[in-house]
Amino acid sequence: MKINDYTQNLSFRIGTIQVAAFILLALLGVRLYYLQVVRGEYFSERAENQRIRLIPIPAPRGAIFDRNGKILVDSRPTYNVTLSNEPIKKINVNDRIEEYADGLTLEPEFVVERLGLIKKQPEFETMVLKENATMQDIVWVESHSQEYPELRVEIQPQRFYPHGTVLAHVLGYVGEISPKQLEKPEVQAKGLRPGDIVGKGGLEQSYDEFLRGKPGYRKVIVDSRGRVQSEIETVQPQAGQDLITTIDFDYQLAAEQQLAATPTKRGTVIAMDPNNGELLAMASLPSFDPNIFVQGSSTPEGRRQIAAYWQDESRPLYNRAIQGRYPPGSTWKIPESVGALQQGVITVKDSNVACGGGITIGSKFTRCMGSHGSPPLSYAITKSCDGYYYRLALKMKIEGLIEMIEMFDYDKQTGIDLPNEKVSQTPKSWMPSVVKREGKWSDIRTVYASIGQDTVVATPIAMLRAVAGVSVQNMYTPHFLKEFKPIGAIGEIGSSTYIPARAGFGFQHPEPKPIPMTEEQHKLMLDGMWGVVNAGGTAARLKNEHLEISGKTGTAQVASLGKDVGANKDHAWFVSFAPSYKPEIAVIALVENVGFGGSFAAPAAKGVYDAFMVKKGLITADSLTAGKTQKAAGAED
Amino acid sequence: MVAIIEKRDLRDFDWLTSLLAVAIVCFGIWQIFNAQPEMNYWSKQILGLGIALVAFMVVAFSDYRRIIDAAPVFYVGGLVLLLLVLTPLGVKVNGQQAWLKLPIIGQFQPSEFVKIPTVLMLAKYFGARRAGTLRIKEILIGAAILAGPVGLIMLEPDAGQAMTYFPILAVVFFLSAVKIRYVVLTLVAGAIFIPTAYIVGVNTGAIKVYQQERIMAIIDPESADPRGFGYHTVQSMITVGKGGLSGIKGDTETSQSVLKFLPEPHTDFIFAVTAENTGFIGCVSLLLAYALLLSRLVAGARQSNDRAGMLVIMAITGELAFQIFINVGMVLGFLPVIGVPLPLMRAGLSAVLATFIAIGFVISIKLRRFVN
Repeated sequence: MKINDYTQNLSFRIGTIQVAAFILLALLGVRLYYLQVVRGEYFSERAENQRIRLIPIPAPRGAIFDRNGKILVDSRPTYNVTLSNEPIKKINVNDRIEEYADGLTLEPEFVVERLGLIKKQPEFETMVLKENATMQDIVWVESHSQEYPELRVEIQPQRFYPHGTVLAHVLGYVGEISPKQLEKPEVQAKGLRPGDIVGKGGLEQSYDEFLRGKPGYRKVIVDSRGRVQSEIETVQPQAGQDLITTIDFDYQLAAEQQLAATPTKRGTVIAMDPNNGELLAMASLPSFDPNIFVQGSSTPEGRRQIAAYWQDESRPLYNRAIQGRYPPGSTWKIPESVGALQQGVITVKDSNVACGGGITIGSKFTRCMGSHGSPPLSYAITKSCDGYYYRLALKMKIEGLIEMIEMFDYDKQTGIDLPNEKVSQTPKSWMPSVVKREGKWSDIRTVYASIGQDTVVATPIAMLRAVAGVSVQNMYTPHFLKEFKPIGAIGEIGSSTYIPARAGFGFQHPEPKPIPMTEEQHKLMLDGMWGVVNAGGTAARLKNEHLEISGKTGTAQVASLGKDVGANKDHAWFVSFAPSYKPEIAVIALVENVGFGGSFAAPAAKGVYDAFMVKKGLITADSLTAGKTQKAAGAED
Repeated sequence: MVAIIEKRDLRDFDWLTSLLAVAIVCFGIWQIFNAQPEMNYWSKQILGLGIALVAFMVVAFSDYRRIIDAAPVFYVGGLVLLLLVLTPLGVKVNGQQAWLKLPIIGQFQPSEFVKIPTVLMLAKYFGARRAGTLRIKEILIGAAILAGPVGLIMLEPDAGQAMTYFPILAVVFFLSAVKIRYVVLTLVAGAIFIPTAYIVGVNTGAIKVYQQERIMAIIDPESADPRGFGYHTVQSMITVGKGGLSGIKGDTETSQSVLKFLPEPHTDFIFAVTAENTGFIGCVSLLLAYALLLSRLVAGARQSNDRAGMLVIMAITGELAFQIFINVGMVLGFLPVIGVPLPLMRAGLSAVLATFIAIGFVISIKLRRFVN
């Protein structure tokens, strides 16, 4: 080197720099080897994981129809504006609050709440910012996709109850599966996961498995902002099966309107075909709007409404038809009479029992509402003679009453296809605790039990089943399921994503429970109940020239005599069927805290009978609206 | 300035070095295309290479000694450009006012180019010094020459570019007979001072939280918040690792850069794109190409006729090696994220032009090694 003489060791120093550079490059090579060769597979997997996403395609839930094909529940597409977690992490959300609130017409406080939630909880991939987005919202989001990549519009089928509060207790509603439900092994076995929509209450819950479809998914590649770049595969969802119910919507509307016209607007009306247990209508008032549960559970306003339902003292969420337990009052006399005939305490030839205007047990006198001499059974039913039944029950003894209770399944659920059915309470269930407390079962309790008070509280559905059972001598299981429609298979047989077809099916009728009576005994019962409406009995106001209705009124005391005013007024009952000697429809009405059964419950059942007569062509729909005048009241209960 | 190209020039012209540099740029253009197939960065880079080659020829066939003589003029001119960047003529990109927009010439990054006058200025001063160990006064003058551009670049602020100036001075000092004990002392002091300064900085709040996160992402990338400031490091490592031995094949539509997981794929993280597309084999080939290029430059320095020429070549060599190491080290996740460009690979006219001008000097010096 020519310039070597200028400096000491110049060649060495240049060499040092060269070697240092090579060492640095070699270091890079070693690191490359580690990242690419040693850990290459690990990083490939990480890259794969961050770019592949499974986007579920929700399966449409089966629709629910009435027996005539009228739609009761449906799903409709709704659009949600969602926030994605990924991009939101990198922006200052405070800048967004005003803009979101303006663009989507939301309350700023709500936007703050949502943004706080998604920032704090990394497990949320996306979060709904606005449900049921309007066309305007969608346009706003699409036109601002550059500025707000975190916003997306997603389509979501949403359960829709077109008739609102009508039939709400029967239908139930849907919602996200709760963490508590998910802990149950039988729920896990069905493959349900957090966020899945399941039926809650009503038919939505009972038949959830069939109504719910199998979701599909899209396997997609996303970019770093979570935007879909391309699709790898799509598996179509299998829709849920459509449910045809036994409900006749015309009866349902009639029942609800009639109940709503009562003074307290609280109670239930159930209509059933006594020949097979098909439920034609089930109204329970006050009611609720299931749409609020479906749409509102994620908004503060909706949550307030739901909380208000829970706190409402009139208990709108509770299905009075199957969960309410009321003293049956005189309606109890029907199964009791059948029991007495079956047990031979009275016979068709000699059914007379003294009324006596009441009865004295020990030093206590319990009165009858009238003085009926020593009437036969049919007259006792028609006039609802209490004195007759006091003595009849004492003859049957409490054991005889319990035998009757077992005959009519009052100690069991009716088996209706709705969840959370309550069981009636009777002397059978009370006996052990009463004997324990009082030493014995006293006659006065038997006397009270004879007129459906004190130790007797029954659910309206159990009362209806029993009386309908008397009318046709067979007790059927009440039910709403008429038919589930079949649904086709999805995908190719043998492929990993194949979902087999699901077959249609109807209600699996359990064997009806026979109510054995001789022909004469049966006629005697039918005659007595015919008289209640048609021979100047307690429900004479239902008498009409087109349809013979039979029934029994009841007035259930909720407080002792003298205090039965205002909120403590008696519950009114009417349990019935028609036509009297060849029943096709059975109807029960219960109205809370209004007073006499004949005055209030019998008219509540009238709406259903009117609808029935119109259907049968006995009267025209016009005549209903024209002649609203009611017949004069007969003797009261 | 352009000398008449003689036959002898063509014979002595360093074809290997020139072609190696062009080959690396072409390889880079392919990777820029892989990084952003839908953008026109790659075609711009081809144009950039053309312009760079013209400048390269002009410089290569000029007499470097005359250019070194004129170094103070270039140096002052460079400082003026850096000052202009700070005026409203400067353009702000990503919070850094590092660009200058001039009529006709267009937009360029002066801090890339001012390295050359700085090298020339240092070479002029230290090339003329007498033999013997480096004196304090000389050290101070060297530092002062560097302080001008570095100070102005720090005002932009562009710490990455400013950093690349230090190896220039280090190499010049080292080759100007600075005592070995000072070198050792500096290295030891650095080894103690840097961690100490970091700890003090963290405790006093002088080092911001996002800066700490970048450091922590290097020390422990697995537990770094992949959505925070460690994101770039983590994504870069994933991209490199994904390439494996021989790179992804035919799957470029879903590459890390196309899906935008990798930030700045055509500039600071171009090496990660290379790693993903060509794998370990491609990356090692590229590193070997750099090694060969650096060796050719060092060989040229050894053949240089005079001290100044030697210093120019070695300063450029040191600076290139430093940039490669810092940039690739960042991509491979063992150095913090800082904007130091990868020479010849990174998209951008300024960077490729400046590098070719620097190599042009090397060629020019080698061409004139027999001239007295």
